[in-house]
Amino acid sequence: VSRTRDELLAVATEALAEIARGEGEAIAMEADSQLTRFANNTIHQNVAESSLQVRLRVIAEQRVGVAQVRGEGTGSLTGVAAAAEQARVLAGVSHPSPLPGPDHGDDALVAFSAATKGATPEQRADLAGTVVRAAERSGVLAYGSMKTTTTRTAIVNSSGVRRFAESTEADLITVIRGDDGAGYAARHAISVDDIDAAAAAAEAVDTCQRNQGAAPLEPGVYEVVLAPYAVVDLLDHLGWVGFNALAKQEHRSFMRLGERLMSESVTISDEPRDPGVFPYPFDYEGVSSRQVAFVANGVCAGFAYDTPTALSDGVESTGHSLPQPNTWGPYARHVVMREGVSSVDELIAGVKRGLYVTRLWYVRDVHPLRTIITGMTREGTFLIEDGKLAHPVRDLRFTQSIVDALADVRGVSRDRHLALGEDASAVLAPWLHLGRFAFTS
Amino acid sequence: MAEHSLYSRLVRDVAARALDTAAAAGAHYADCRVVNRTVQSLTVKNGEVLGVELSEDSGVGVRVIVDGAWGFAGVGRLDGASVDGAAQDAVRIARASARLLRDPVRLAPVTPAQGEYRTPVERDPFDVSLEDKMDVLLRTDAAMARVSGLRVRQGSLEFVKEERSFASSEGASLTQTIIESGGGIDATATSDSEVQTRSFPNSFGRHQVCGGWEAVLAMDLPGNGERIAEEAVALLTAAVCPEGRMTVILDGTQAALQVHESCGHPTELDRVLGFEAAFAGTSFLTPDLLGSFRYGSEQVTLTADATRPTGLGTFGWDDEGVPAQRTVLVDAGVFRGYMSSRETAAVLGTTSSGAMRADSWPRIPVIRMTNVNLEPGDSSLEEMIAGTERGVYLETNRSWSIDDRRLNFQFGTQNGWEIADGRRVRLVRNALYSGRTPEFWRSCDAVAGPDEWRMWGVVNCGKGEPPQAMHVGHGAAPCRFRDVHVEPAR
Repeated sequence: VSRTRDELLAVATEALAEIARGEGEAIAMEADSQLTRFANNTIHQNVAESSLQVRLRVIAEQRVGVAQVRGEGTGSLTGVAAAAEQARVLAGVSHPSPLPGPDHGDDALVAFSAATKGATPEQRADLAGTVVRAAERSGVLAYGSMKTTTTRTAIVNSSGVRRFAESTEADLITVIRGDDGAGYAARHAISVDDIDAAAAAAEAVDTCQRNQGAAPLEPGVYEVVLAPYAVVDLLDHLGWVGFNALAKQEHRSFMRLGERLMSESVTISDEPRDPGVFPYPFDYEGVSSRQVAFVANGVCAGFAYDTPTALSDGVESTGHSLPQPNTWGPYARHVVMREGVSSVDELIAGVKRGLYVTRLWYVRDVHPLRTIITGMTREGTFLIEDGKLAHPVRDLRFTQSIVDALADVRGVSRDRHLALGEDASAVLAPWLHLGRFAFTS
Repeated sequence: MAEHSLYSRLVRDVAARALDTAAAAGAHYADCRVVNRTVQSLTVKNGEVLGVELSEDSGVGVRVIVDGAWGFAGVGRLDGASVDGAAQDAVRIARASARLLRDPVRLAPVTPAQGEYRTPVERDPFDVSLEDKMDVLLRTDAAMARVSGLRVRQGSLEFVKEERSFASSEGASLTQTIIESGGGIDATATSDSEVQTRSFPNSFGRHQVCGGWEAVLAMDLPGNGERIAEEAVALLTAAVCPEGRMTVILDGTQAALQVHESCGHPTELDRVLGFEAAFAGTSFLTPDLLGSFRYGSEQVTLTADATRPTGLGTFGWDDEGVPAQRTVLVDAGVFRGYMSSRETAAVLGTTSSGAMRADSWPRIPVIRMTNVNLEPGDSSLEEMIAGTERGVYLETNRSWSIDDRRLNFQFGTQNGWEIADGRRVRLVRNALYSGRTPEFWRSCDAVAGPDEWRMWGVVNCGKGEPPQAMHVGHGAAPCRFRDVHVEPAR
């Protein structure tokens, strides 16, 4: 049985009240998650989990200690304050980041759906079944997962912060495999009722059928049209290595404020209050999350901040903190790239000879300062000849600077698609026509 | 002791109740894991304690087969009503799975075991004071601080104690206490055009083993701080890595990651059978290749060995109650075996290799690496360098990527040493090497011997949905490969 707003705030408040000295912050997070996984046209894994986690940060005498407990053992969360105090005493004197005060932000705008919260295993099996039956009708095999998640978070601190949010997410991903090639599709929504499994299945089956018998292609630099599933990886990596204020402060970020490093058609921002990217009212310090423009018309415009990085730069936190203290810095979880004016067909039509890339895989930073990443294409790479998709090609490895690629944007689609980054952050991305993308093997 | 006895009785009661409730609800098979995991993490950054974090994670996971289909539920409460609820949820979920069932699950047989296992340690790290632990980090930071030109100095220690109990409706009843100790440092230097990080003993924050405080002392972090800091600064102005086809010698840490990505993952039988096709991917090592496919040269023997001391994949039994064992994956270059579960082994008509592992109580066990090892050869690093006309010696991973069938890889390393005429001639930066798995391993002509062989730990192996981060081990030594494509990042 899930806790109400008042009950979860009470859990956090009680944990905070146990602090013997100094000030503190308590985060109570209750999560219910269910995931139905299918492979070879059958459900092969089907799981559910429910847990309560309490994290307590204690600051006193210039020492900070943290304790975290997940699970309630025999029925109560005890000892978290004592553990945090034990950690604090041993931590040594430092300059702990102060706790933020209340900013009176509105907690009402949050991605929540009662339908997702109440989703049943039978519903998830039926959605998986929709995909599987579409695959069976086409004589191919379906793989994927259908997930529903409800998360309740309460944050209180000694400075008066008191926040609560309940959010939901429903995610369907599928890979459809034929004898000699595969297709991919994914749908993400606040409400499970908005997951169009039939449309996802049709998309993946269509890509799979067109992606049979891929031919080898010589590596080299090609024009590309990247689908949103691929664009999300570029934006996600920029978030970690560039838009993060700690990366700037440690001289690891490519960003140079006020300089134009990308094409004029590139505008990237974090939109925590946009209903299209799982809106969420506050960060892990209880600070209201604000819109931040990272790149405006190709010009470096701003960074995501948490309290410690904001103090260091003499600015206000933008509400992008991960649990404090940490070594990662602030992080954007609602990234949006501005749409363009072209249809996807028009983007493809603009390519004399190049590649259409459905998605990327195992993307890793090679040189963060230069935003060089490497990875593979996966489940739908097609040669474009004379403005038309010609035939599928075998998957290729790319090694490419993201900023360099976004400095030669030749078209942006007007349609966009919601996708998830590798750590499940939301990204609303268009299709992109890029002038050059380096495929290395 | 009394407290521990009470907990043990609670765990037994929870397991019995979960199995009884599952059976009453219609489960043909059920197992139950009760897990309590305690973690200490200490981090020092730029001379200041960033934080000391103590965490505890406890709960129960119930896995069932009903009508030939799987169901699982995990809950973070151990009271009777919660345990009953988890068992009943697992049964309901399994019935939902059965709506979309092709073939009923079959499990390869295992003799139900009863027993206990505990990681052998010289000194339990939880008996060492936090002051002593912090002292190691602060002395290491001071050593790094002696070098000018660093932008960021960072060090961390982590200690894990996990008590996990397993019981099954077949009669298994097992209790294990796994103890891990780990630590590491990173030194980062920056210039206008470069960011260079050196890590020790390994990248990804730390090196970790199943063992006690003695493992941290053996790393000698304070004794290596200054050297690592100097190397980070030197890399800023080092020559760019040469380009072309040449000999590559990998240090033990990079060899371990090469094994992890290009041998460990493709020999997981669930990938081969398509269970991971929508996420982690599949494998080029299909069953028709067993026993005949030349995976590597005769120098290359790879094992999955959950009995090897200090490995992060060392235990008494896996999370299906299958005993720890050694499986030969590649024997003198020939592909011989898989890591498997009871379900996947039954598909091939064999028994489980004991590789089912869950990273926590609310997650199901899936096939995971135990300790996947490149067995030692008879060479040495110095012999390999002396026998190299043109090449690079590469140390410590910086970037890693491989395709979803585990064939096409590219790795980058923090340090590179250019080799000419049998000698290291200069430090080089931003090195990348790439290739295809079988061709690469077939080009292996030397592996260092037992004196240079060491068990390394990887603490961030991702797999499964919901995602799980597993701790796995890799025994490896420096090894040499001929005619490999090398280039600088640009």
